[in-house]
Amino acid sequence: MWKSQVHNLQELRRSASLATKVFIQRDYSDGTICQFQTKFPPELDSRIERQLFEETVKTLNGFYAEAEKIGGSSYLEGCLACATAYFIFLCMETHYEKVLKKISRYIQEQNEKIFAPRGLLLTDPVERGMRVIEISIYEDRCSSGSSSSGSSSGSGSSSGGGGGAGAR
Amino acid sequence: MPAESGKRFKPSKYVPVSAAAIFLVGATTLFFAFTCPGLSLYVSPAVPIYNAIMFLFVLANFSMATFMDPGIFPRAEEDEDKEDDFRAPLYKTVEIKGIQVRMKWCATCRFYRPPRCSHCSVCDNCVEEFDHHCPWVNNCIGRRNYRYFFLFLLSLTAHIMGVFGFGLLYVLYHIEELSGVRTAVTMAVMCVAGLFFIPVAGLTGFHVVLVARGRTTNEQVTGKFRGGVNPFTNGCCNNVSRVLCSSPAPRYLGRPKKEKTIVIRPPFLRPEVSDGQITVKIMDNGIQGELRRTKSKGSLEITESQSADAEPPPPPKPDLSRYTGLRTHLGLATNEDSSLLGKDSPPTPTMYKYRPGYSSSSTSAAMPHSSSAKLSRGDSLKEPTSIAESSRHPSYRSEPSLEPESFRSPTFGKSFHFDPLSSGSRSSSLKSAQGTGFELGQLQSIRSEGTTSTSYKSLANQTRNGSLSYDSLLTPSDSPDFESVQAGPEPDPPLGYTSPFLSARLAQQREAERHPRLVPTGPTHREPSPVRYDNLSRHIVASLQEREKLLRQSPPLPGREEEPGLGDSGIQSTPGSGHAPRTSSSSDDSKRSPLGKTPLGRPAAPRFGKPDGLRGRGVGSPEPGPTASYLGRSMSYSSQKAQPVVSETEEVALQPLLTPKDEVQLKTAYSKSNGQPKSLGSASPGPGQPSLSSPTRGGVKKVSGVGGTTYEISV
Repeated sequence: MWKSQVHNLQELRRSASLATKVFIQRDYSDGTICQFQTKFPPELDSRIERQLFEETVKTLNGFYAEAEKIGGSSYLEGCLACATAYFIFLCMETHYEKVLKKISRYIQEQNEKIFAPRGLLLTDPVERGMRVIEISIYEDRCSSGSSSSGSSSGSGSSSGGGGGAGAR
Repeated sequence: MPAESGKRFKPSKYVPVSAAAIFLVGATTLFFAFTCPGLSLYVSPAVPIYNAIMFLFVLANFSMATFMDPGIFPRAEEDEDKEDDFRAPLYKTVEIKGIQVRMKWCATCRFYRPPRCSHCSVCDNCVEEFDHHCPWVNNCIGRRNYRYFFLFLLSLTAHIMGVFGFGLLYVLYHIEELSGVRTAVTMAVMCVAGLFFIPVAGLTGFHVVLVARGRTTNEQVTGKFRGGVNPFTNGCCNNVSRVLCSSPAPRYLGRPKKEKTIVIRPPFLRPEVSDGQITVKIMDNGIQGELRRTKSKGSLEITESQSADAEPPPPPKPDLSRYTGLRTHLGLATNEDSSLLGKDSPPTPTMYKYRPGYSSSSTSAAMPHSSSAKLSRGDSLKEPTSIAESSRHPSYRSEPSLEPESFRSPTFGKSFHFDPLSSGSRSSSLKSAQGTGFELGQLQSIRSEGTTSTSYKSLANQTRNGSLSYDSLLTPSDSPDFESVQAGPEPDPPLGYTSPFLSARLAQQREAERHPRLVPTGPTHREPSPVRYDNLSRHIVASLQEREKLLRQSPPLPGREEEPGLGDSGIQSTPGSGHAPRTSSSSDDSKRSPLGKTPLGRPAAPRFGKPDGLRGRGVGSPEPGPTASYLGRSMSYSSQKAQPVVSETEEVALQPLLTPKDEVQLKTAYSKSNGQPKSLGSASPGPGQPSLSSPTRGGVKKVSGVGGTTYEISV
């Protein structure tokens, strides 16, 4: 029992704390279609391979392009909705919503397989109004370096406001 | 009525929608009750059916337009807005299909409004693709419900026309009994219909035109694209199909909250990085990280820490100490007191000089290439006249993030170069020095850039993510900056090469780099930068080389390795008068890029028309030697956003910097044996060594370096 307690203690010690968040912004170069910038943020430089990150963002962009695609299916959906005085929306999911569900599943899967093992967490952009992809960066709390960085970033941000105000 | 509630119950805002509903339903009901029975008899039973369907359509669209979420953006959370509200630039420009579009900061919702988004004051929400706030439906019309609103207008127009038409038919059938109840009611309904037809049809026509042109009411009314090009249009057919046939957009508010089932538990995987990458990171981050460290020591490297906005402290490496020392020195000299320069003798000031160039690359992705190059240029300038520069252009001393620093300062509307830089750097460095995340720095830079862009609206192109292209922005300011920088060292005694170590180190670098290292022509994602920035890097190298040469020619330096040209350039850049190099360097700018690995002598020739003039400018003087150019190139690479590719390149270039000073000194001793002063304009490659042509000096000029060292430079 004592050993299991020690083991639990060790488990507790190895926990992650949120260090910072990176926000991948929208890429508006092609208009208002939903796509995110594939530029690799420097904060992730040491956390994840560039390749993986870009692949994830590109896949997401592909999903969004598919959701916003104007084709036969979306036209038929519109006609059907019109014909039923939009009551069909009570029963049926729109095409966009279906793709959003796919995206959500994909993000979940990416988090489980790729991001969480690296101490990162992707947030579904739809929760942010599809303006940003939020990537939370976690630090290993038991390592002193990361904890200090986490604390320093925390204190930095808090004092940054003061410093900025002071500087002004 | 609830007191001080944000959402007061205002009956007045429900009046139009109630009136519209009453008129619509009431009139139609009367029509069906009084007119339709007769019409179905006289004309056809299809008439009421048609009208019923039309009315149903109108009602459905009316309801959707009224009750559907128009595309309200949820408020941004606290952590998304790292920049202090008052420090954020009001606008951020983004390029959409080649057209600059401004994104305004929404203070209520706390994000930069996406293109076509607008904040509705009635609803107090930012709405995606905001069209207008319609009082008749008491709702904003935005991306999600514009289609229903448009169809409502169309169907209402058709319905009004139908009611009016069929009513008229009925009246014509009963023209002899106009006083009859049915006829009277029908006539009343016709009047209402006729009355509403004019504004409704007008509005419908207006929106038909808008849809065809791909504009929103907001854009049309505010004249955003008056006489200009609308970046949001895809052609009439595509615009129409997009409005009518696209899948309804999802709602952002009120979505089912997904449970977080992911468990994040260390140990974390880390990507494989080579030593070089790590080294580079240190360099890039080193500036930031060390800034933070020095900051913690209370050093004055505030400006340098600007770039520290984002990056986490690099993994500790033994080499860091060296950088730290340099950094400290540099930092001290940067902003505050020029006297500080004299106090410290950096172990390797050469490296320090270069570091900004390299570190510029390290800047957050936000840093545009040009801006980082600018910073490196400033840094190189700093070397010869660090004191002068520090007093005058502290911003240049700072790290690559200097550019964003200037932006961060809200005052930079006035002058792009110096004033805002210095003020901005201070304030921003304060922030960055505190170790805020990269995002903060990026945001700072982005925000500040946005502010700057207001003054350079036509030039700057900014995105919140920091993919800034400062090229256009810097173009106008470039030369002035350049000139001002050049002007800086003029009156001041040459400073910066405190010690032979400087040139020695440079020589060392050069030496190492001379070994075949494949320098990619440029990272693929390298932003296009003005040529001069690349050249500047080379010039920095060249100037340093010159300085080394100068040092060699002055009191014999034991074991100083001579990286030809580098030391000389460095040395000579010290005394260089600002003017001479300015002109020469500017003229040389054009020459710089093609020079590449051409021997220094050639490009140096025209420049060195004035004694030490070019040298003085170090930066401005194109001294591309093979190694210098290599170094310069690597430095220019480094000035790009920090990327692993760049990092590798930098790492290659930086590795030699890490060698101990002693080796450098030894090498210096061996290398440049041609102690003869380089004749003006003569390409004098060192024996067996690529030499950066050093500006020749006819006479002997005394250059006092940092730390009191005096070198005699034969001019």
